[in-house]
Amino acid sequence: MSSIKTSTNPHLNNSSSFDVERVRRDFPILSREVHGKPLVYLDNGASSQKPRVVVESVRDAYESYYSNVHRGAHYLSQRSTDSYEEARETVARFINAPSEKNIIFTSSVTESINLVAATWGKKFLKAGDEVILSEMEHHANIVPWHMLREECGIKLMFVPVTDAGDFQLNKFEQLLNANTRLIAITECSNVLGTMVPIKRLVEIAHSRGVPVLVDGAQGVVHHSVDVQALDCDFYGFTGHKLYGPSGIGVLYGKTEILESMPPYQGGGDMIEHVTLDHVTYNKPPYRFEAGTPPIVQAIGLSAAIKYVERLGMESIFNHEQDILGYANQQLTEVEGLQIFGTSENKAAIMSFIVHGLHSFDLAAILDREGIATRVGQHCAEPLMDRFGVEGMVRASFGLYNRRKDVDSLVFAIEKAKGMLL
Amino acid sequence: MNASFELMRYDEFVEALEIIDDEDMRFEYIIDVGKKTRDDDFSNDWKTEGNLMHGCMSKVWIVDQMQKDRHFFKGFSDAIIVRGLVSMMTESFSGLTARELNTLTEEHVRKLNLGALTTQRQIGMMAMLEHMKLLSRSDRVIHVDKI
Repeated sequence: MSSIKTSTNPHLNNSSSFDVERVRRDFPILSREVHGKPLVYLDNGASSQKPRVVVESVRDAYESYYSNVHRGAHYLSQRSTDSYEEARETVARFINAPSEKNIIFTSSVTESINLVAATWGKKFLKAGDEVILSEMEHHANIVPWHMLREECGIKLMFVPVTDAGDFQLNKFEQLLNANTRLIAITECSNVLGTMVPIKRLVEIAHSRGVPVLVDGAQGVVHHSVDVQALDCDFYGFTGHKLYGPSGIGVLYGKTEILESMPPYQGGGDMIEHVTLDHVTYNKPPYRFEAGTPPIVQAIGLSAAIKYVERLGMESIFNHEQDILGYANQQLTEVEGLQIFGTSENKAAIMSFIVHGLHSFDLAAILDREGIATRVGQHCAEPLMDRFGVEGMVRASFGLYNRRKDVDSLVFAIEKAKGMLL
Repeated sequence: MNASFELMRYDEFVEALEIIDDEDMRFEYIIDVGKKTRDDDFSNDWKTEGNLMHGCMSKVWIVDQMQKDRHFFKGFSDAIIVRGLVSMMTESFSGLTARELNTLTEEHVRKLNLGALTTQRQIGMMAMLEHMKLLSRSDRVIHVDKI
């Protein structure tokens, strides 16, 4: 994690607390208005806004040194390659991977999971083998395994969640059996905010010889991640939720596992030699990066990671937990509002409905008030079925949100009730 | 846009929304239309999977009642705002023959000037018009003697 000391961090105020107003000045978009109202951006779970340093890093790459990587004999290509590979090192440091060679760049966490399903899954899974997921997975961590189920006949087992939205370790242990071949699990529910006890889960899975893939799309944004401490076998996340550009994702994999995996897609850069009759493949991570990779997106992600490292993931976590606590307190007082996900161990995500109001109507009124939320099934239909609702409104908080954003949300919900009920 | 037939309530909606020059008020107008569309205006028997218009964030049901050769649409949604939009669309474009319906274009939707709506909802309304056209040519048309 970040080694920046508190005393040298310009975003920490005199009392060493998180200076959110100063942080907000790093995000130009936050000063705009929407429908004539100040923007209150509470859709960070879908995608977060970008600090100026990320935008500038992308612009600088295109304006100063852009070229293709790994192949040019000229200065610009070398310069781009250096920056692209330096981004890989930044990602490795950020999640404490043993080496940058454990880091594969993809287009998104969705592609990261699809890559594992299409390579490791097809090679090592056969009919009757079981993959354990949970009820609160994003579709990105359900559908790739479902496709494998259709293709190879594997079985999918789902760990249920409690009414509070807690992951049930005991139910997970009950599902483990001699046929279990993989655990594919979210670190943090994109709907409930529930944090899954990954470290303990991995210990249990490994004691039975079962590898674990972690979907860190939401988790990596809210707290520090150490893949070696977790001992997970795969860890995927996406750049655009981590204040970086869209179009860039990461897949971390343990060395021996990556080396055992066949290529994902075929093309340039992922090969050693190609003849008309024979192809030999490159080593990881390049084996899994066919064609021109997301060069500038990786550079932008590197800038985003350095930005949150400067703030400190622990400071971000503490700040967001304060906002979460306040949001929980304020939303609980709204008559008719029901919160989904009340785990004591959760990230700053609040999903809710207001009885008597359609979530779509509510989100539309919030939008008119300048408040950006997400509405619907949140790419988690099984979880909606679990809670017996057709959709929810989700307010997902980021490092630049304030208590007053919660006040604006509550005010707008009351206004919506007045207009619609 | 130069339809040679009469659009029952279309002109009324266009005029009302032209007079309202405030985006928020335009939005409230749509909500009012939605609120006025009462649950018992749309039979529960019509709220079937077959009558659902797919691809919407909320549930939208539309039925096509045909009297002689003219199509009269009724619609409903579980969300008030969408219910308002569905009502405006079904009431605007009812009373036409299938041939007349087919002459309607996206411009007719644009002219409603629902500026308060997002692009996504505008696209949804254009899809709704196409859905109504398809419905009028399908075997799901309900033939009635009287509207």
